[in-house]
Amino acid sequence: MQVDSSLTGPFPRSEALVRATRDLDRGRTSAEEVGRLYRSTATELARLEQTHHLAPATGGYLRWADLFRPFAEGWSGFEVGPVTRWYETNTFYRQPILHAPPDRSAGALGGWFPAAEAGIEAATAKAILPGPYTFATMIDNRSGETTEALIHRIGRLLAAEVAELRTTGYLNFQFQEPSLVVHPPAPTAGESTIAAYRAIAETLGTAPSYVWSFFGDAAPVLPLLRRLPAQGVGVDLAETEVRDLAGHPAGRGLGLGVLDPRTTLLENPADIARQVHAACEAAGVDRVQIGPGGPLDLLPWESAVRKLPLLNGAQTALRNGGGRS
Amino acid sequence: MSESKLFRTQEIGSLARPLWQLQGQRHTPLSPAARKEFLGWNQQLGFAPVEDATVGHFLSNGGTDVSGAQVRDWGAAFALRFLESAGLDRVYDGEARRVEMYEHAVRQMQGFELLGHVRSFDSKYYLKGAITGEVGLGHPYDLEEFDFVRSHARATPKLPVTGPYTIADWSFNEYYLGRIPGWKGRTQRREAQREFVVDVARKAIRPTLAAMIDHGCRVIQIDEPAAGTHPDQAALVAEGFNVATEGLDAEFSMHICFSDYRSLFPALLEAKRCRQWAWEFANRDTEDHDAYAMLSLLREYGDTREVGLGVLDVHRDAIESPEVVQNRIERAAQVLGDPSRIWVNPDCGLRTRRLEVAYEKLTNMVEGARRARQAQTGAG
Repeated sequence: MQVDSSLTGPFPRSEALVRATRDLDRGRTSAEEVGRLYRSTATELARLEQTHHLAPATGGYLRWADLFRPFAEGWSGFEVGPVTRWYETNTFYRQPILHAPPDRSAGALGGWFPAAEAGIEAATAKAILPGPYTFATMIDNRSGETTEALIHRIGRLLAAEVAELRTTGYLNFQFQEPSLVVHPPAPTAGESTIAAYRAIAETLGTAPSYVWSFFGDAAPVLPLLRRLPAQGVGVDLAETEVRDLAGHPAGRGLGLGVLDPRTTLLENPADIARQVHAACEAAGVDRVQIGPGGPLDLLPWESAVRKLPLLNGAQTALRNGGGRS
Repeated sequence: MSESKLFRTQEIGSLARPLWQLQGQRHTPLSPAARKEFLGWNQQLGFAPVEDATVGHFLSNGGTDVSGAQVRDWGAAFALRFLESAGLDRVYDGEARRVEMYEHAVRQMQGFELLGHVRSFDSKYYLKGAITGEVGLGHPYDLEEFDFVRSHARATPKLPVTGPYTIADWSFNEYYLGRIPGWKGRTQRREAQREFVVDVARKAIRPTLAAMIDHGCRVIQIDEPAAGTHPDQAALVAEGFNVATEGLDAEFSMHICFSDYRSLFPALLEAKRCRQWAWEFANRDTEDHDAYAMLSLLREYGDTREVGLGVLDVHRDAIESPEVVQNRIERAAQVLGDPSRIWVNPDCGLRTRRLEVAYEKLTNMVEGARRARQAQTGAG
């Protein structure tokens, strides 16, 4: 069994960065000083990712206020809207308000991707973007466009972003799709989602890509997830039962969210190994990618850092024959 | 202040700390801006006697010459006068002595360990803890705080208490979850969370509420901003509320904000001793979206409790005019069909707004309520 591991979303800001960004809000420090701290923290995280064999690396996406903010600020048609609950968490995002069909301009988002700041070669980094279904359904759409049309349009715009990121060296892509499992799409929206990913896939070519679901049970939408033209799909094992992974298509990658960002309680690597083994048996696969089940920025920095070695610990346990019940 | 008039007004939570309080608590000299702020507000509100020698020492030497306890007393008195001067019928001390609603509460309890900051949104964070042992309580908390408010308030005091569900939801559950062996899936997490909520309610919050009531507290707002986080746990929110208030006699309300209230029904209605729902609306009330229309939910379920109506958006500096406030009240009254059930308040605490902005918002809220009252009854 081959098990790779990688982070799957934004990492929390360090306590120093928390203080600095607060101070910046209060006019007690300079943007330059905070920028310096962003760079050093992203570099530190990249080093931790390397130490714990987490590849591709992410750099933490520390500057992103939320999953949509770079797009709400960088694409046309949007206004950054009210503070809105981020799924079933005690965190919030500013819900973008879409007043007109969105559009993009070249170079508007490049600075938001953290590889360069973290000192990671883009080719070994992972570009994490919102998935088109989650994007289209988590905003306040006042553009007059139907949800279905908007999903498809956002897919085409994301495809253009992917193309631009590829020119800067990015090879690995992940699309965040919590809404697919938290608010499963109606059949028409599901077909639009497939069409959106088809547009993205045309740009991706053979570049590795994962659609990562979290915050919900993937079982009811596995048939749709498996139809998406991506190299793999990720599911959150704190929400999804491994027995439901049966029938995974041959040749399609499987991602397993095995670290729970809802608790600081450290998972036991042996328990993770057992879950991974059971999931592989159920799905009939011998290669998986493991990572956090959701974004680790629900934890404080130190608690998130303490979870990083567990992925490698589980890999070691599996290599040593652990995980078989 | 009459408690029978229509559209009575109340605060909901914390206020921003004045600069002089922050500097005073840090035991540093007052900056010129802080001194000016103290004098300006004191002239307007009269919260500290300027002829008092201690005030003179504070103005000369700041926190280097005056105790932190004295500065906090002035901070509490300032907030009381600030809210009373704005014209509110129910007030508290702006939570002037509390670090933050979650951290303050868990610091009083046993079994918690504060771990680090988690981002709420943008560059706003809160210090989050884990329950690492069984919940306990050395002694009821906030009694001195309440005694000070009761002895200084001219309007009716309304005590805010962070609710058991929110304390549990905003904590990492290590102790109760860790007692369950093996992989922790949904079922195990839910079981552990229920144990946690009920323990907080029974072992920490109820004894505190009982002691508060013994000290003369009559109006208590249980804050459950986390209630909307997991809609399928609304029954647990209600259970926590019921356990925390079991056998107690006071006027209880439940404050929830930034949530889809519809998703909490009907399970939330099982909070039997809750007399008032204090909810946020203004944040989502726009030209093309009437946030108050959702109050029809209460009619659908035949729920006749009072409503604490959020009419001020606490996340934006834009000042709601009295006309906007009046319009929001009138829309809500029309949906509810009974104006006497409405209390008027900000969506949530105004802590994120500058004091000048908060004050203008509150005075406009009071004026908007007065105009709505006048339109209803002819009396201002």
